[in-house]
Amino acid sequence: MTDDELDRRVRAAVLSEQLDTSRVELAVRNQIRQRYIPGWAVAAAALIAMLAASVLSYRTFLREQTPPICVAAAHDHNHEIANGQPREWLSSLSAIQSLASQQGVPAEAVPALVTTGYRLERGRLCFLGTQIFLHLVYSKDGEVFSVYLRPRGSESPFDGSVRQASVDSEELAYFQTARLLAVFVDEQSRAKALAFARAGARVL
Amino acid sequence: MPHLGSLLRVARRLTVQSASAEDLVQDTMLLAWRGFHQFQPGSNARAWLFRILLNAFYGQGRKASRAEPQGVPFNQHVRPAAQEAAEIAEALNALSLEQRSVFLLAVVEGFTCQEIAGILNVPIGTVMSRLSRAREELRKILAPQTKAMEAKGAFR
Repeated sequence: MTDDELDRRVRAAVLSEQLDTSRVELAVRNQIRQRYIPGWAVAAAALIAMLAASVLSYRTFLREQTPPICVAAAHDHNHEIANGQPREWLSSLSAIQSLASQQGVPAEAVPALVTTGYRLERGRLCFLGTQIFLHLVYSKDGEVFSVYLRPRGSESPFDGSVRQASVDSEELAYFQTARLLAVFVDEQSRAKALAFARAGARVL
Repeated sequence: MPHLGSLLRVARRLTVQSASAEDLVQDTMLLAWRGFHQFQPGSNARAWLFRILLNAFYGQGRKASRAEPQGVPFNQHVRPAAQEAAEIAEALNALSLEQRSVFLLAVVEGFTCQEIAGILNVPIGTVMSRLSRAREELRKILAPQTKAMEAKGAFR
């Protein structure tokens, strides 16, 4: 038997064998599917992680830049107004003005804010950190704003212009005058908080 | 999946057992998938796959499989082709693993000696001598059947 004859004979016999590759193919495909994470998914995950880290860093940076009084005001507004804690509030203008006077806040400041188009709802005293503030609640077009007022004294925590800050879900605007420190908080709109504070800065 | 049949055919001759052959081919395809960046476009993909198969076979501690000769009793009820296939299978199993792999790659899969040298990472002279010895061995093993076939004029 020549080499060619032998080769032909063996080749024919081996190739005549029935092979079922379907099981192997299925197993390979399943394993690849389990292990395979597409490149675009890795890139997207990395991008999302970077964005999340940037947002967190930025928020931390902003929070560090925000005066502690404002952070406390945001938390107070969220706790007392947004979550509606049951508290005793004064609702008559005269009673609130009397309370304001007792705390050294000019009584005319309370109705002065009403002249800017906002409705006075109620008022009480509260602590922001270790300091007592007059907490006034105003509304306009169904939206509720908190205004925190305190006599300025010799301290100067804010500068003269109206500033803006975000703390968690609260939007704040704040400023100081010669007599007062004022913090305005709105839960929904940065622009509305800023608009109310700018209007307030003109009359306080 | 391309070349799966060829890989499985050779794997079955290397491992003898069908389940081990399927595992070996599965490992081969996964290794190829993971190492696809190492494949050079334009080079012989089939040879590359066989190289992975044989590396996996030797590298994963698989022992050279040589089935015990069981003899293929003549059975007049078995079709002659099946009888022939069984005899050839037994003859191949009797070869050493080195001879068997070279013979299968050359004769069944049609690789050149040069390609086989690349697949097995051995000198081409080694491939040629293994192939020659494999043929010689097979001729001896198949001699009785060959005589019978020659008597029937099968090689004319």
